Amino acid sequence: MSSNKTSRIGEEIWKTRVDKVNAELVTLTYGTIVAQLCQDYDSNYQDVNKQLEKMGYNIGMRLIEDFLAKSGVGRCANFRDTADMIAKVGLNSDTLKGARIVDISQVGFKIFLNVTPTVTNWTSDNAQFSLIFEENPLADFVELPDDGRAQDELWFSNILCGVLRGALEMVQMQIEAHFVSDVLRGDDTTEMRVSLVRYIEDEMPPEEE
Amino acid sequence: MAAPPRHATMLSISNGDKPAQAQPQTQQTTLPQSPGLRVPSNRKTIYDRHLNRSRNAESSRASFAFLFGEMVTYAQRRVTGIQDLEKRLNEQGYPLGLRLLDLLFYRSTSTSSSALSSSSTSSSPPNRPLRIITLLHLIHGPLWRLLFGRAADALEHSVSPDTPNEYMITDNDPLVNTYISVPREMSMLNCAAFVAGIIEGVCDGCGFETKVSAHNQPTDLWPSRTVFLVRFGDAVMEREKVLERSGVK
Amino acid sequence: MHKIFQIFQVYTYVLIYPWTLLAKSSPLITHVISQTPANSPDGLSLHTSTLINRDRPKMSYYFTILSPSDTPLFNIAFGTSKGGGDGIARFRFPETAQYMNQFIIHSSLDILEEAQWTNGSMYLKHIDTYPPAAAYITAFLTPSGARFLLLHQPPHLPSSTGSSGLGASSLLGSAGSTTRASSSSIAANPTSPQTEEAVRQFMNEVYENYVKTAMSPFYKQGMEIKSPVFRTRVTAAGKKWL
Repeated sequence: MSSNKTSRIGEEIWKTRVDKVNAELVTLTYGTIVAQLCQDYDSNYQDVNKQLEKMGYNIGMRLIEDFLAKSGVGRCANFRDTADMIAKVGLNSDTLKGARIVDISQVGFKIFLNVTPTVTNWTSDNAQFSLIFEENPLADFVELPDDGRAQDELWFSNILCGVLRGALEMVQMQIEAHFVSDVLRGDDTTEMRVSLVRYIEDEMPPEEE
Repeated sequence: MAAPPRHATMLSISNGDKPAQAQPQTQQTTLPQSPGLRVPSNRKTIYDRHLNRSRNAESSRASFAFLFGEMVTYAQRRVTGIQDLEKRLNEQGYPLGLRLLDLLFYRSTSTSSSALSSSSTSSSPPNRPLRIITLLHLIHGPLWRLLFGRAADALEHSVSPDTPNEYMITDNDPLVNTYISVPREMSMLNCAAFVAGIIEGVCDGCGFETKVSAHNQPTDLWPSRTVFLVRFGDAVMEREKVLERSGVK
Repeated sequence: MHKIFQIFQVYTYVLIYPWTLLAKSSPLITHVISQTPANSPDGLSLHTSTLINRDRPKMSYYFTILSPSDTPLFNIAFGTSKGGGDGIARFRFPETAQYMNQFIIHSSLDILEEAQWTNGSMYLKHIDTYPPAAAYITAFLTPSGARFLLLHQPPHLPSSTGSSGLGASSLLGSAGSTTRASSSSIAANPTSPQTEEAVRQFMNEVYENYVKTAMSPFYKQGMEIKSPVFRTRVTAAGKKWL
């Protein structure tokens, strides 16, 4: 599946099926959440990262649910239906096993944040890849605390790892995701590393030959 | 709360620095310099990003709703009751109010079509609100449009002679309540307390000490209709009288 | 939370800073008495710059940002860059400039608070003059209550030698007085329309950078602005407009 096609699909869904809100409202609200967590956890950034991931996981699951509900099929009876539905809106991959993950990831982030991360750095077994975020609205306006630790310990946008994990779990893929770099830390890119852990149960539609 | 004595605050500027001894005087040595944050090799920082860049950017309404929902759920775990929860949401909104205020004014000074006035012809920078009614119009119109893409639905002043300091801003269908389903035992909760905090931040920032609370006022047509009750402090009301007499608008 | 924090801050200042004040104020005054009449390094460096450009005396500036409760958030000193200026501040009493500038700025706050409620503009222009140091104060108020204050001090012109003695005596005598002098005799007039316009541009540029600072979720109102990038930006704005 070409990346062109994926982004066209993402664009199409974004235009026709997603209710919009001012992006800055999302940005600013997210900022207050992270700042609040840092305060509550007394700048224990590892705990903040974990909490953000958890929040993202809940959101990812609900996003897929909500998206499917709006697509006109109502709540899906089971995971298999969910996966079928995803396929119907154009996300079926007919090539690599891993391609489906990246398609869903890209389209998912388009729906969630109106950004399309670039997919790169595949491992040879197609079980790991990276998402590069050229744009990250969550981090707009943000400068990390100059406390000598935040830039080494806090993953400001860690909620995105959770969102992806939650969303993919809804279509029966268990993944692990973590950031490996972030421009807020002074890195040149914002990169998330994603690994496929396993397909949940044996209910996936068979791959087409 | 009394302001600190002037001379006392003044000396706190020095932060224990020594007076500059050498000529020429450069200020580089007078404040402790932080080493600063690391920046990417393109050296882009928040200061390189135009403040209007995301002005018309859109995001998903569901994303916002779920994000806000997570914020409420998280806050709920750390409080003991509804009042506590609303207080916490209010406190999280407050600093946002201060930021939005500066952002609104920046945008109306930097662009020809002002974010603060309805006429696009005014090119002079907007004024800081000095009177209550100007402030409330700023909230009802520009602030609401920045946040929610439309003005609020009503702005009213209490007619009771006992509460001349009370004003109401009504939103028939607050975005923050769209996806939130409040459990039955918490039916009094209104998550728009977050927005109340934003309003409070805007008022306080402008020098109008205020308490703002969000209340459910459902109608048949608008089940999640919310009234923001804005109560100005005595000092504000006193000043208002003085400004009224001296003809300040 | 923010309110508790503010109250806490106030008490900290009340309890701690009077001690700082006592420790520092006496050497400050002795310096003024003993140093002012001589004041040679200042006169010397000023001379050099007048040689470069006789027609445009160089101004010294002290810029500060105060929180709504008068907590200092940022300050910087610099000099004229326009018309061949080297951008370096040469205050008249270099030994004590730091304290005097802060003192003068703070003594203008009452006037600022009055102006705040009669004039809704963010840029309040020239609000106060402190004749003993020939210092002029220009103010800009952000809508969220931060105060930008710019002190301008024209150079000690070599021709006006008589005024240095005046500076020394009246500096102490009028510290608490409210005398305000007219400024028409100043060579580079800090209250001329051109100056006010240049300062307006400077203030607007600082405001833009201040908003960028304040928009970060980790910046809380009343926090000192430590970013070296912010400092660079303010310096650049000073170079560009003043």
